Amino acid sequence: MPELEQQLADLAVAVRWPATPQLAGRIRARISAPPRPWYKGRWAIAAAAVAVAGAALLAYPPSRDVVAGWLNLHVLIERVTHPPSPSPLTSGPLGKRLGLGSPTTLSDARPKVSWRIAIPSQLGRPDEVYLQTTGEAPSQGEVTLVYSARPGIPVSGQTGVGVLITEARGTVDQNFFGKVIGNGTTLEDVSVGGHQGYWISGQPNVFFFVDAAGNFRNETMRLATNTLILDYGGTIVRIEGDLTKEQALQIAASLS
Amino acid sequence: MEGRPAGDSTLISRAQRGDAAAYEEIVQRYQQLAFRTAYLITGSAAEAEDAAQEAFIKAYKALARFRAEADPRPWLLQIVANEARNRMRASGRRHSAELRLVDAYRPGDAAPSPEAAAVAAEGTSQLLRNINALSYEDRLVIAARYLLELDVAETAAALGVPEGTVKSRLSRALTRLRSRLEEAPDA
Repeated sequence: MPELEQQLADLAVAVRWPATPQLAGRIRARISAPPRPWYKGRWAIAAAAVAVAGAALLAYPPSRDVVAGWLNLHVLIERVTHPPSPSPLTSGPLGKRLGLGSPTTLSDARPKVSWRIAIPSQLGRPDEVYLQTTGEAPSQGEVTLVYSARPGIPVSGQTGVGVLITEARGTVDQNFFGKVIGNGTTLEDVSVGGHQGYWISGQPNVFFFVDAAGNFRNETMRLATNTLILDYGGTIVRIEGDLTKEQALQIAASLS
Repeated sequence: MEGRPAGDSTLISRAQRGDAAAYEEIVQRYQQLAFRTAYLITGSAAEAEDAAQEAFIKAYKALARFRAEADPRPWLLQIVANEARNRMRASGRRHSAELRLVDAYRPGDAAPSPEAAAVAAEGTSQLLRNINALSYEDRLVIAARYLLELDVAETAAALGVPEGTVKSRLSRALTRLRSRLEEAPDA
């Protein structure tokens, strides 16, 4: 270990910290009411997701095969026998069609959100940036980076662009993103630079989310393409496109 | 396993089934780390205490979604750090934690403690003075990594940045600290 690092390591035992408060007893008092068993909460949320995903979903009851539940990603993924038909994309500007919010720029968006917007160096600066802070936006807003097609990354038949990267602050019990996936879709746990996530690929899947008030929103249901969902240090990053897993992981690894 | 402390995963599994005593034990184990992490971020012992307390409550509410076999340290650190940062933003203030040394070895003591020996080591107080003179960001990454002895993944969780960013930030912070020490060795 270089000298300075060694000196810093030695310094650790010499620092006088403020006295640590005794929190354990206080915490126990606050949690004294017994919590619901974890599986009940999970199924209750899953049932709610299915119930509010729309009439189309009700026409195709879920198989109750939860293929992946809650990690620390606030992501709910439910496998259904027949994914519901999504709302058709409306015509008009991209942001309106995909429900991305208002067009903006990186420099304008940065001071309006509470997190540092991560940009993938692999793709460079986005072609378009959208910010959504009202309506169906998660609490603290949502930023979407739009990248046009480029060599190796075709135009997605589902979104009409090359890659969509959506970022939103995810804090415990606040924002939930969800996908209803069909049997033709595969889902894998992935890890990118220590960040936990999911890779969802195969047949198009339907995207919806739950807002900060806990309401599932289906207004923006649309077909999503192959998707990587990542817990990026408290920010939920969603990378969508007709990408291979390797491409998506490379893009995710280049976020900074 | 009578007489042997339960592992974190055992305690978390029990807490997930509603065992408050098991969660109390988890808090007991990690309250110091949580409090000190929050203190580094907020620069205030009072804010750190509130942040750590609320973070443990939020972690408890989210416990059902935590995989019991996973290491809870990065997970808890992330929740604590988020809570601390949110409080700091809400208050509109950003104070760097003022780091101090433990009381030095006093003549007459039978033998210096490891802490006193470290304090007495040449350059220790000078090193801490220079750390305290660094920017908030530089001080935070150095303190998290070396003084709290977090590994890179844990530091990333505490700072809310990717591991790669921790490495680059740490490298730049060490360079600036080294420059300070070389430019003003007696400062």
